Amino acid sequence: MNIVKVHNLTFAFNHQSPVLDRVTVNFPAQQTALLTGPSGCGKSTFLRLLAGLLPKYGGQVSGGQITFPSGQPTIGMLFQDPLTQFALDTPRHELEFVLENQRVPHAKIFDQVQAALDFCQITDLANRKITSLSGGQQQRVALAVIIARQADILLLDEPFANIDEANRHFLMAQLGKLVTGHGVTLIIADHDCHGYQALAPRIYDFTDHHIVGLSPAASRQRLVAADKAATRQLVFAAPQPAAPHVFELNNVILSRGNQQLLNIEQLAIIKDKITLVTGPNGTGKSTFFQALTKLIPFRGQITYQGQTINRIKDRHYRQEVGLVFQRANDQFIDVTVKEELELSAKNGHHPYFKAHLQDALKALGLNNLGDRVVYSLSGGQRKKLQLLVMLMMEQAVLLLDEPFAGLDHASLQAVYQLIRTAQVTKPQTILIVSHQLDQIDQLADFHLILHDHRLTYQGALTHES
Amino acid sequence: MNPSLKLIFALIISLEITFTTHLTGNLLIIFGALLVLAYHRVSPHKVTKLALITLIPAAALFVTMAFFSPGHNVFFAWVLVSRLYCYVLVGGAVTLTTDKLTLIRSLEQNCHLPSKFAYGFLAALNLVPRIRQAVVTIRVAGQMRGVNLHWWSPTLYFKAILSAIQWSDQLAQAMETHGFVEGAPRTVAQPINITKRDWLLLIAGLALIQLVLIALP
Repeated sequence: MNIVKVHNLTFAFNHQSPVLDRVTVNFPAQQTALLTGPSGCGKSTFLRLLAGLLPKYGGQVSGGQITFPSGQPTIGMLFQDPLTQFALDTPRHELEFVLENQRVPHAKIFDQVQAALDFCQITDLANRKITSLSGGQQQRVALAVIIARQADILLLDEPFANIDEANRHFLMAQLGKLVTGHGVTLIIADHDCHGYQALAPRIYDFTDHHIVGLSPAASRQRLVAADKAATRQLVFAAPQPAAPHVFELNNVILSRGNQQLLNIEQLAIIKDKITLVTGPNGTGKSTFFQALTKLIPFRGQITYQGQTINRIKDRHYRQEVGLVFQRANDQFIDVTVKEELELSAKNGHHPYFKAHLQDALKALGLNNLGDRVVYSLSGGQRKKLQLLVMLMMEQAVLLLDEPFAGLDHASLQAVYQLIRTAQVTKPQTILIVSHQLDQIDQLADFHLILHDHRLTYQGALTHES
Repeated sequence: MNPSLKLIFALIISLEITFTTHLTGNLLIIFGALLVLAYHRVSPHKVTKLALITLIPAAALFVTMAFFSPGHNVFFAWVLVSRLYCYVLVGGAVTLTTDKLTLIRSLEQNCHLPSKFAYGFLAALNLVPRIRQAVVTIRVAGQMRGVNLHWWSPTLYFKAILSAIQWSDQLAQAMETHGFVEGAPRTVAQPINITKRDWLLLIAGLALIQLVLIALP
């Protein structure tokens, strides 16, 4: 039986061409649907329509309708950016708020909060500030909220974009339990189909403003192929000892609150090369970048080109070392795409973009967007624009924090190609923190692994082992 | 004491001292507020900081009244300074000893403040540290793009306001997806009652204040 019926639905944001054009699709109850398609195709918009957030919060439905044949279900939603979905300060307070809204009697609230926390294994985080949790932990909290709401339909928008493999497996397993044990219907939007085999979803392709369901056999085939691509081992060599350094770290200790995150006895970052940094969620990769850009205090010594970074003036230092933020919105200074590009063209000096900006825009699919307000772009478009305006600046060092989150395969290839081309014209030292590892060994030269509070180059022999 | 009653008590004190010029009374109220802060073990560091920040307007007020007013009224200058400290410390005695969420829950349950206002207010409070963080981030983002945003740069605030508007929209959506419906009945996770002891404390406190402000010379 169908739980959601979408008939001839057409939707557009104000003064723009339609995102959905006469979409007709049905979702059967108590099953999993996986919506895939390139970034910016309208997956998030579609889920928000199902959740009833649109057109209430913007845009117009100019035709068609969404119906729920078995009566109005409770709909839970997990957003792409975990931080935007909480109204209160701690997981416990958020869960209590949700249960109060559900009119759960006072006597039962404590137990239900506990059950939801247990299900997501976050009891130890219950009273921490949500803002102090890592992205993966925040997604667990968001899932706990949905458990507490006892939703019939669960909409997930790129839920694993900023999440490491361990958390991905955990969340996936818990979602599976919801479908089989509680009869929940899952509708997931994700451009990355790997790791979904256990949920056995039906795949729905989102192309050219339409949605087409694949047959179960074709769906299975697609999932197997995605898994195969994801399990490929990354091969990296360790840097040569004589390679020139740009950063040197000595006895550096980084902490979050009272918790020690990183303890780096000695580490050198190789000049004009691309280094990938990986490690589980919440272990301090972003914190490492924040220390390198002087955004947080640290113990020990970090030198840049032989100079202690604390002695360099912020203003000069940031002309040398740039950070591409995890949240794209933080990067933008101006309002429209055109203004952002003009600002970087005026103050940036990268020779490649001086000559070939139009080619780069075209390759990234950002041409013809000049008058759009940057905040109205899709998640993927914003990530690409953000990277572009920072590449144009031509800093000697560029730190990229999850630059590929939410990008589909084609966008990813375009971004890799752009970085490589820019690198040929003007070599920069680039560090990348990413969970998106699809073919990344074609881009990066070295691989730093964060494990057990240490950073070690892949292929390097450590003293202990 | 019940957070709502505590708030009402503080408001009544503030209102009363606005219409009296009673130096001894003000000093006693300051002393009382300090006692309450000490009883709740609020860190002396916080209280000192509060007092030091207040010193700037207090000094300005004193100098104006004592040296530049027609009568050079030093007594009245002291009254105004002590009155300012009364406001700040009594306010501190409420906010520094009450958890934000508990106050909001109390206002919702005891004073029947509509939940829309209660949670809107709470969300706005929770937004303050985020806005502060956003201003820092915007300055850094600017420096990395060759733009030096000073604290007086309009861009800085334009961007901060833009972020705030976006957050408020996201917040509304987040509350809605978490089952919040305007005006719909809700249950309570943590019931907050007004006990007989709360009422007694309020009445005794009010009586004491009248005694100090009226009966004392």
